[in-house]
Amino acid sequence: MTGLGIGLIILLCAIIILFFLVMFIASAYNRLVSLRNRYKNAYAQIDVQLKRRYDLIPNLVETAKGYIKHERETLENVTKARNIAYTAAQAAAANPGDANAMKSLSSAETGLAGTLGRLLMVTEQYPDLKANQNMMQLTEELTSTENKISFARQAYNDSVMTYNTQREVFPANLIANTFNFTPAESFVIDKPEEKEAPKVQF
Amino acid sequence: MDFFERQEKARRNTKLLVVYFVTGVAMLILTIYLVAAVVFNLTGSRARHRHYNYDDNSELQPNQIPFWNLKLFCGVAIGTLAVVGIGSIFKTMELAQGGSAVSSMMGGRLINPNTTDLDERKLLNVVEEMALASGMPVPQVYVMDGEDGINAFAAGHTTSDATVTVTRGCMKLLTRDELQGVIAHEFSHILNGDMRLNLRLLGIIFGILCLAIIGRVLLYARGGNSRDRNALPFFGAALLVIGYVGVFFGHLIQAAVSRQREFLADASAVQFTRNPLGITGALKKIGGLGESGSRIAHAHAQEISHMFFGNGLGEPLFGLLATHPPLTDRIRAIDPNFDGIFPPLRYAAGQEIPQRAARTATPPRFPAVPPIVPAAVALGSVMPNLGTPNTAHLRYAVELRNSFPPALQSAARDAMGASALIYGLLLSSDPAMRAKQLGLLAQNTSAAVRQETERLLPEIDPVATNAKLPLVDLALPGLRLLSPTQYQQFNRATKVLIEADGQIDLFEYVLQKIVLRHLDTQFNGARKAVIQYYSLAPLAADCSVLLSSLAHAGSNDPGQCEAAFRQGAQNLSAMARLPLSYLSSDECNLPQINSALTRLNQAAPQIKKNLLNACAQVVAADGVIQEMEAELLRAIADTLDCPMPPFLQPAQASAAAPALD
Repeated sequence: MTGLGIGLIILLCAIIILFFLVMFIASAYNRLVSLRNRYKNAYAQIDVQLKRRYDLIPNLVETAKGYIKHERETLENVTKARNIAYTAAQAAAANPGDANAMKSLSSAETGLAGTLGRLLMVTEQYPDLKANQNMMQLTEELTSTENKISFARQAYNDSVMTYNTQREVFPANLIANTFNFTPAESFVIDKPEEKEAPKVQF
Repeated sequence: MDFFERQEKARRNTKLLVVYFVTGVAMLILTIYLVAAVVFNLTGSRARHRHYNYDDNSELQPNQIPFWNLKLFCGVAIGTLAVVGIGSIFKTMELAQGGSAVSSMMGGRLINPNTTDLDERKLLNVVEEMALASGMPVPQVYVMDGEDGINAFAAGHTTSDATVTVTRGCMKLLTRDELQGVIAHEFSHILNGDMRLNLRLLGIIFGILCLAIIGRVLLYARGGNSRDRNALPFFGAALLVIGYVGVFFGHLIQAAVSRQREFLADASAVQFTRNPLGITGALKKIGGLGESGSRIAHAHAQEISHMFFGNGLGEPLFGLLATHPPLTDRIRAIDPNFDGIFPPLRYAAGQEIPQRAARTATPPRFPAVPPIVPAAVALGSVMPNLGTPNTAHLRYAVELRNSFPPALQSAARDAMGASALIYGLLLSSDPAMRAKQLGLLAQNTSAAVRQETERLLPEIDPVATNAKLPLVDLALPGLRLLSPTQYQQFNRATKVLIEADGQIDLFEYVLQKIVLRHLDTQFNGARKAVIQYYSLAPLAADCSVLLSSLAHAGSNDPGQCEAAFRQGAQNLSAMARLPLSYLSSDECNLPQINSALTRLNQAAPQIKKNLLNACAQVVAADGVIQEMEAELLRAIADTLDCPMPPFLQPAQASAAAPALD
């Protein structure tokens, strides 16, 4: 009977260990899933604001067209950059966090930010355009949307970082690799004017 | 039955459930022990026969092994308890993240508060209106894209982490009235405290299911010990059977609890909306879709079958196992004249079902009522409404929401706008102080946030006192989108803003407390709503702090303050058998109020009822409840997890009467 008792105890221990193992795998897996959903949801926030901005830009260009006489290509560049960014955003929205989609969106957005900056610089030379009620409203709306994009981008990048960290730490990384949790890419927009070092002239 | 009784009853049901469960597990242990004794004795004795030379000098003759063996019993008991316990705890922990964990487990997609999709917008609006009408924070709304049936469920521990999930079919096929009926049904589950019961049930059934899973593992296992070789598969098979029998009885309990709650929720839905056509229309459409009208295809559907609006599984073999009463019975309970014929309904993707032309039962709309607050509210109207919004509240909520400027409405839906909105509400009206606060805001957050706050300020300033609490409730879905780092920043910034003006504004403070408390579940894990206090005596000091600070908020004259305090404290101190001492305004500082509210929130529902009654008496001591006091009362009730519908003018409330048929 003692042999039986020991056997039973070993069996129970094995069961409990197995149980904990299964539970651990399940909870690590679930945590990864919920973190992935979180960053996808955070991307949806950016997407909404991006869309709003893409809708504003054609109006802005249309309004500016009536006033700007010389720098036609600036306007065309804005429209072009907007269309590129629009396609990139659609690809990214279909698969948020995907490295290629996010990289092309990042570069498209950087390009758009650059051309938009140039356009706003050009409008400085046209006081009539600056005083236009419609233009004032549009620029105001555009600034507000850009602020929101940067705020939402921060939230997205935070959740991407949490997800990537969880994906890489041991022992969760074993599960992440087994179940094919790919790393997510953060969303960075380079603002050209912030990067350029101030030129000092003596 | 009032709100507190319903909450109390839900708790009693939970306790009863635990009793059932303990009995069930005891039975399981006994059965498993008997099986183990039989199986191991048989195989053991056979082994002994075979190894005849094996000398263990056993005192037992092979054919005389007694059925009582303490060691074996302990082993079985510990093993079973460990498996069931660990299983339940694991599932409960997994669900401890609150409603959103359940919703995403079911494949729900969180609807973006900023959505432009028409159907999603309609759904969100209906939920927002219902939440404002019942004085609750707006829950997160999920949609199950893969499900074409009509179904919905609510999940979460408390009102702060509640979620509402609907199927795509529910969102696309139902008219606004029917959708309102379904959402009201789900809200009544939230307000009746059914969600906690549901989560507990989920954990328990999973624990029993673990036994069956282990049985299946053992069935194919090979024991290392030669003696146990034959025993294990037998034992495993037995465990499998016992586990599934246990799960069967678990489902029986689940179904019984669920059927009883469904009728109640249907009735409450009619009570909230005063529109029986809404919910019966939705039920008829489920019937009209045919057999699979409310079927949920998701793999986890079985687990949460008792939480659905309609029967989520196929028709069960036995009525006892049905989680929902038959559709016809449910419709007849509301509309006794129902002929039992469901008009057929076909699902056409992307095609809006035409709205019924005649909406005879819909009460006539008010010509846009501006949110003018009642100058004074009768004391009698305060308590009975708690947790029970009605049409008047609902209509008021619709108009209130429509009266917010579009800029505020859209701001409340994204993270940055929503936080700017809260900052705006916390700013002082004094220009110099305001400038200082804005400076502090920029320091603690960023220039962009300050800019956004300044942009919203002209819209926030004219918001009436009675609209501030609803505005905060509306902003919660947006605030949930903050990242953890941003939330830390937000947390710090609100504290700084409150402390900046150097004086305590109780209302401001309570608003901030509501926001942080409801968001806490999102960022720091769900609070366990554990009741710590069943008697008033240990809470006497906290009651004194709360009532005194309420009295100070009502009047500047010390004599009047004390009189108001006495008015409210009278009954409470009689109940606590302790005198409540009146505190001067210096003695009620923010940290004290904070800890008082936190402790009071851990009191049993009946204590909260008495406390809120006392609070109402304090603010009504001068004969009337001013709008400021009324909102303060609602805000305090909110921090105590007791959603209080907005106060209505007697004219508004009685105008609902003709609609009562």
